[in-house]
Amino acid sequence: MGKKSKGSRKGKKAWRANISTEDIEDFYEKSSKDALSGGSLTEVPSDSLFFVDKSRDLSVKRKIDKHREKILRVDSILQKNSFVKPVPSSNQKKPKKKQKEIQRTESSSQKDGTTDTGMVDIWDDKGEHAVKARKASKLTVIPAVEVEPPGCSYNPSSEYHQDSLAHAVADEMQKIYTKELRPAPVPLTVPGEAIEEEDMYFLDADNESDDDDQNIDEDIEKRPFKTKRVTRVVQNKRARNKEKLKKEAEVKKTKEFSKELDSLPDIINEIAKEDEEKSKRHERRVIAKQERLKSCPPRLGRHKFEPAPVQVLLSEEITGSLRKLKACCTLARDRYKSLEKRGIIVPTAKSGRK
Amino acid sequence: MPKHYRPTGKKKEGNAARYITRSQAVKYLQVSLSVFRRLCIFKGVFPRDPKKKVKGNHHTYYHMKDILFLKHEPLLEKFREMRAYEKKVKKAVSKKNKDLAERLLTRKPSYTLDMLIRERYPKFIDALRDLDDGLTMVHLFAALPAIERENIQAERIHNCRGLSLEWQAYVSRTHKLRKAFISVKGIYYQAEVEGQKITWLTPHALQQVMPQDVDYKIMLTFLEFYETLLGFVNLRLYHSINIKYPPILDPKLKALAADLYALTRYVDAKDQKDGSNNEESELRLAQLQHQLPANEPGALMHLVENTTDENEEDEETRTCKNLFNNMTFFLSREVPRESLLFVITAFGGVVSWEGDGAPFEESDQNINYQIVDRPTQSHRFISRDHIQPQWVFDCINARIILPTEDYMVGKVLPPHLSPFVDNEAEGYVPEYAETIKRLQAAARKEILPMPGGEQDDLDNAHNLLAEGIIDRTKAKEAAERKRKMTILQEQYHKELKMEMEGTQNTPTTPKESKKKDVDEETDDANLQQFADDDDNMSKVAMSRKKRRLYEAMKISQKRKKDSVDTLKTRKQNIQKSKKSSD
Repeated sequence: MGKKSKGSRKGKKAWRANISTEDIEDFYEKSSKDALSGGSLTEVPSDSLFFVDKSRDLSVKRKIDKHREKILRVDSILQKNSFVKPVPSSNQKKPKKKQKEIQRTESSSQKDGTTDTGMVDIWDDKGEHAVKARKASKLTVIPAVEVEPPGCSYNPSSEYHQDSLAHAVADEMQKIYTKELRPAPVPLTVPGEAIEEEDMYFLDADNESDDDDQNIDEDIEKRPFKTKRVTRVVQNKRARNKEKLKKEAEVKKTKEFSKELDSLPDIINEIAKEDEEKSKRHERRVIAKQERLKSCPPRLGRHKFEPAPVQVLLSEEITGSLRKLKACCTLARDRYKSLEKRGIIVPTAKSGRK
Repeated sequence: MPKHYRPTGKKKEGNAARYITRSQAVKYLQVSLSVFRRLCIFKGVFPRDPKKKVKGNHHTYYHMKDILFLKHEPLLEKFREMRAYEKKVKKAVSKKNKDLAERLLTRKPSYTLDMLIRERYPKFIDALRDLDDGLTMVHLFAALPAIERENIQAERIHNCRGLSLEWQAYVSRTHKLRKAFISVKGIYYQAEVEGQKITWLTPHALQQVMPQDVDYKIMLTFLEFYETLLGFVNLRLYHSINIKYPPILDPKLKALAADLYALTRYVDAKDQKDGSNNEESELRLAQLQHQLPANEPGALMHLVENTTDENEEDEETRTCKNLFNNMTFFLSREVPRESLLFVITAFGGVVSWEGDGAPFEESDQNINYQIVDRPTQSHRFISRDHIQPQWVFDCINARIILPTEDYMVGKVLPPHLSPFVDNEAEGYVPEYAETIKRLQAAARKEILPMPGGEQDDLDNAHNLLAEGIIDRTKAKEAAERKRKMTILQEQYHKELKMEMEGTQNTPTTPKESKKKDVDEETDDANLQQFADDDDNMSKVAMSRKKRRLYEAMKISQKRKKDSVDTLKTRKQNIQKSKKSSD
């Protein structure tokens, strides 16, 4: 209410005058209706409104169950069928047997004196479940631990020592000689003055060859281009000549053949000799190869095996006392070289380098 | 390629199909190169040298069958699994998921090489045959320093040391050691276990250098395999002498680096217990006590030991066991203790050393030999010999107690000869070897029975002597026997000589041999002729192949003889020069 506005009638106040009161009126109407009918339904507890039907209606239940039991065809196809064997994705062999084996080994290990650390004597059963022995290819004849020659003793006898020392020296000398006998390396710099670029073009120029070509051409031009006509007479003559030659050759051949026949024993001897030589050569090669294999392995890779130098004391190093012995302390290298020597591992650039 | 699948253009046979290069093999097995190398070492697959190298000369070739053999190895799958697992761990770590990483690390998959050893060595004897390399490697790594850079862990080195000492303890306990040779590289030993000669090399007790040109990854892989192998071999050997295998050692001795002694003590203790448990051996002990003078407890002890396993022993083991019998050694500080401990106990001696944990002191009255390696010895005991270590090695190689005069402190030692050289085969016998031989012959005349003849009833000289003490009449008999023996021995030697000279080897009585002696000189030329004729006849009878072989043998013999001659002349020259210089 309040004061009456004096201003425009288009403002808020004008609108406020036009507000509808319909919903309020509806409410009043409804509440009055509820009061007349006996209370609103929303406020009534649900127990009073609903009840559980406890009476048995079998037919309906059966219907529902039946509906539930029914299996769709889609599902029935996927179901397991005892008549159809399943197809495995991969056929792995005998998993059952493995289990059995494991059980057996377990039982056997229990029988064996299993030690505290769980170690078992693997050679105890007398070949019961022996693994099929794979025939190991004997690689080399070189023993795993090669005993040094007697000259390499810490206190060697003089003769043996000289012998071993001579071997060592020979090896060293051979190395030096091979180095010396190698083709000389390409020098990095060449003595002399540098050639200027302009001169370079004239270096390979060769005028004479051009002249020769011209001469040949001239000769061909000068030569008279004539062909003689071959007459019948000449043809006949040639034919006769040819025949004659042929006959002569035949005669010669037969003669030679008879000659060879006469010398047949000689030829047989020769062949036998050749065969013998061949077999000898073969034998020699085989033996040589075996000898080579005794000292070094076959070539197994990019790099060649290089034997380690002989560990021998120099004459002035022999002290005769174990305490003052100047011993080799690179046994690891020795072992590694031994592995390489037996062809078990491939020699590498690193191991060959000194 | 497997047979059933062959792509077009691939070869079916020949070297191209039979061999495969390493890179191809790696691709084929779908593993990394390092795994491939490990697998090859474990399985014993090695590169081959094909006749035709199809892919070129600078490749490494493997046999296709070997590669297929690797392909079926369960270990291959295990390696793959481990790699996958490592990836998991790595992922967890890089995601900063610490808990997961730790949990994963606790359950890391691991592998064992037991089955591989079984597969590669189906029988125990196979394993023994291939033990040389393994033993040497394990002994080497026992002496190496643990280096982080090369991934050599201290644990493994300790394990190697343990394994090597266990092996040594077994060998020394059962007296299986046969030869030892000190070279510049290290000390070579040879033992005979179950009829197999096993040679191994141990480094000198020096700081070992790690050369750069060695691939330690490969060495460690080999070592891994050999460690497992030696573990199983040791287990088997220990069980064979009724000792629990992983031996429990005295921690105090172990700390003092006297593991070997601890081990031997452990072994001996076990053995004595077994002996006392065994009634039969007790009975025999009682019998023996009657026969022996009672004032030698040490000898008795040894006899107890003897009874336990005498049945399995052969002649050589017995001689080895009795070599240093009843002898007591003392090692000075500067002497290589480990090797001497091993060697002396292996030949039946009793040892002590300077330092903590030693069984007895230097001042002990029972010590027979003190091993010293210094120019002069200040304080000397009269009751014992002060000798240099080489004496022990020379004694065991010669199998006799050598006179100690040459080996005294401060003396220039006689040369240390290699026992691995067969002097007869080589043809050249060094001077010192000859003297040793003479000594051996002298020793044999005293005690040992002659070879052949009545070996059975005259088994041991010690037995003989013991009998003599017990019974005078028996002793007389023994003396008579000895006389007979000497006569027989002389005869035998004569026969030997005859054989050497190339006469017929029909058995001759002494009388006949005398006659022969007279005849021999006159018939000498004739004999030569006969021998030659015989030679030719047999040559004719031989097949061509055999003849060739024979000729080749002749040539090699001649070569050997030539080399021996050169050695002899060289020696003469040296002596001459020495004389002239003197």
